Amino acid sequence: MSPQDRERSSRPVDPPFSPVLLAGLALAPVPPRLLQPLFDAILAVVRRRHPDILDRLAPYPEAVIGIDPVDLPFVLLLEPAPERPRLTVCRDFAGAETSALIRGPLAMLFALAEGRIDGDAAFFSRQLVFEGDTEVVLALRNAVDGAGIDLEADFAATLGPLARPLRHLVGVGSWVFGRLARDMDLVRSALLGPALRGADAQSARLGELEEEIGTLRRSLRHRESRA
Amino acid sequence: MSAADKAGKKAAEKTGKPGSLTLGPVLFNWPAETWRDFHFRIADEASVDSVHLGEVVCSKRQPFFEKYLAEVIERLTAAGKEVVLSSLALVMTERERQDVSALAEVAGMLVEANDVSVAAALAGRPFVIGPYVNVYNEGSLGYLAGLGAVRACLPAELPAATIAILARQASVEIELQAFGRLPLAMSARCYHARSRNLHKDGCQYVCGDEPDGMEVDTMDGKPFLTVNGTQTMSYHYLDLLPEIGALRRLGVDRFRLWPQSCDMVAVAELFRGVLDGRLDGAEADARLAELLPNVAFANGYIHGRPGNALVDEGLATG
Amino acid sequence: MSAETVELICPAGTPAALKAAIDAGADAVYLGYRDETNARNFPGLNFSRPELADGIAYAHDRGAKVLVAINTFPRAGQPEIWHQAVDDAARLGADAVILADIGLCAYAAKTHPDLRLHLSVQASASSAEAIRFYHQAFGIRRAVLPRVLTVPEIAALGAAVPVEMEVFVFGGLCVMAEGRCALSSYVTGQSPNINGACSPAAHVRYIEKGDKVISQLGGFTINTFGSGEPAGYPTLCKGRFEANGKLSYLFEEPTSLNTLDLLPELIAAGVTAFKIEGRQRGRAYVSAVVKAFRQGVDAIRRGERPPAFALDGITEGGRQTSGAYERSWR
Repeated sequence: MSPQDRERSSRPVDPPFSPVLLAGLALAPVPPRLLQPLFDAILAVVRRRHPDILDRLAPYPEAVIGIDPVDLPFVLLLEPAPERPRLTVCRDFAGAETSALIRGPLAMLFALAEGRIDGDAAFFSRQLVFEGDTEVVLALRNAVDGAGIDLEADFAATLGPLARPLRHLVGVGSWVFGRLARDMDLVRSALLGPALRGADAQSARLGELEEEIGTLRRSLRHRESRA
Repeated sequence: MSAADKAGKKAAEKTGKPGSLTLGPVLFNWPAETWRDFHFRIADEASVDSVHLGEVVCSKRQPFFEKYLAEVIERLTAAGKEVVLSSLALVMTERERQDVSALAEVAGMLVEANDVSVAAALAGRPFVIGPYVNVYNEGSLGYLAGLGAVRACLPAELPAATIAILARQASVEIELQAFGRLPLAMSARCYHARSRNLHKDGCQYVCGDEPDGMEVDTMDGKPFLTVNGTQTMSYHYLDLLPEIGALRRLGVDRFRLWPQSCDMVAVAELFRGVLDGRLDGAEADARLAELLPNVAFANGYIHGRPGNALVDEGLATG
Repeated sequence: MSAETVELICPAGTPAALKAAIDAGADAVYLGYRDETNARNFPGLNFSRPELADGIAYAHDRGAKVLVAINTFPRAGQPEIWHQAVDDAARLGADAVILADIGLCAYAAKTHPDLRLHLSVQASASSAEAIRFYHQAFGIRRAVLPRVLTVPEIAALGAAVPVEMEVFVFGGLCVMAEGRCALSSYVTGQSPNINGACSPAAHVRYIEKGDKVISQLGGFTINTFGSGEPAGYPTLCKGRFEANGKLSYLFEEPTSLNTLDLLPELIAAGVTAFKIEGRQRGRAYVSAVVKAFRQGVDAIRRGERPPAFALDGITEGGRQTSGAYERSWR
């Protein structure tokens, strides 16, 4: 993760072959709407376990914050309106009116959320890029940092009975996921756990997801055999 | 007398008077002879009521004009001007502390405190609070009035609403900066020296190279600030000519003109004309623009906007 | 003063940062309310009254103190907001309040004679006479010194004032005399003294242009970063400007104050408390910096030099300076 190793550009660049980049490749064919329940679940967890985050964002009820994990094939829109907060997953920002954008590798966004790295430091080194209304970005950064989030603790409890399909998904890409270190555990527990839990109530979607996983498995096998 | 009576009496006094003009201390490092001749001309020709003398920015400059101080004071006093001695704004070294103590010992003259330490040394006698002392509210102003302050030149960044409250409640004369580059910041570091790869200790007095300060542009060539040694000033010249009438009605007693290298006698004449009611504010403003065709003006602070803004709308006094 | 009694005063922008600072070895944290009564009135930051109460309990349980910064200058006509801030700090059991305004000092001294008063750096008390004034008039017990003094000047000051001295040892560096800088309001209309924010984020824009990022404040370009250059927040005194045809960091490079090596000299100069800047920084910063300075102070107590540590990753522009403490800075 040494900064010198990074290719410099105005867009943050993640290290080559980061676990998340590889996960991103794996997730590429998954339609964003299938991931939506997972982000609904994430937001529900945030509201329950960290109400102070939305409290600190209360002065910005109209804001739409775009979050772009540059190594994943989708983006997020966070609307912190206190009464009706929303976290929406999209393919890209086309058609979205964002007041601010945060771009960075997912691992860094997670590390930031957990207060493991300093937001200013990440920005000074250009690994994170902000655009648009800096005040909103800063408010989000400070609110999240101040909440004392621990992704594993926060989401471990919410995995529930869907641990099995989750492991199934992870098992899909041994070629990809076999190399994943702690970062991927975070991706897994944070992104996929709650999604599957949310999907539990909607078996139709769960079926769809299982099907996607099947497709994913096949495409990964292809890659694996070629490699 | 109750506070309300006092305020009423003060308002009545104010409506009767035309309002006063102060020429602030020269903030730039001018050659000593230029400094002397400038003040001689002010004494002879400028329609200002008070003139401030003294080094505010950098104690290293003080020895240069000191040799002319006595004759300048004499000439100004003979011309009927009130002379006020201004103190340094940032007092740090032993030398500077001694200078300040000496200033506080000066008898028979009004002294302007530009640092809290000077105000403390002047306690018990009448003194002026300079714009470098933070007076933002009635609590601070009242406390300093209790020490003996008789006049306060308020910090540059205050909006009219705040000025109105202070002017209404204060038992001291309220003065506002009204013309010239605004002093915005002080530092222990000399940026003039730094711009020439020098340090403050061996500065070669490069701040004397630019009589109105060193202009600072942004990377894309937009004029931005001015450096005057350890002081950072606005690029724009403050101009409150159009607002003077409204500010008088809010209870402002005095207006301060910061000396620039332009024709300050002519500038003072425009302000005097507006204060005396001989000249309309807008008309005087247009004439000032003719007098200084290459100067960019600003008046944002008084309108509650960024200081660099130029606001055309009049000032509400309701 | 000696290494035995010196205190480490650490920033807390949020309850999480407060815990991080205390867990990392802070002797005291300083913090502010979530409003314009303190000089770090940044979005998403600072403490509600209940959060302050919890924070004080957390600190006191672990033998640490909480200092409440109420260090902006009250708005004329509305002093009661600032008065309430002082009243609440006293009521909730804060160990001291950090004040800058003369009027507010007078109010606190009169209304809460038992409340410990510290003089904020924003009061810009740079001489013995200034500090003595605040001591005699309002009974302030400690002065946070402006970041304009050299170590010998601090030593001379220490011998001449009857109060404790607190100095900044790490973090963002004001190059102007604090509390006397109107650069931010000149550009944005928002002032540290009035609104509690310098170079406020609402007026910041980052513009991508080709492979460059342009940072602007209030419509003025403060800096441009090419590929490979570390970016910085557009604090306007740390921007690149042109004067006499030369482009440079005219006021100061994007850099962080780091005086770890100077700690023994500062202790010898009579400094009682070391202050770490950064209430606007995250928990990771607070943890790392507090730990490093805790080790430094503990090493000095054992009669050793403070150990070197790598804080490059969390300093602005990856650069460090000992600032005004060295005369050559001027």
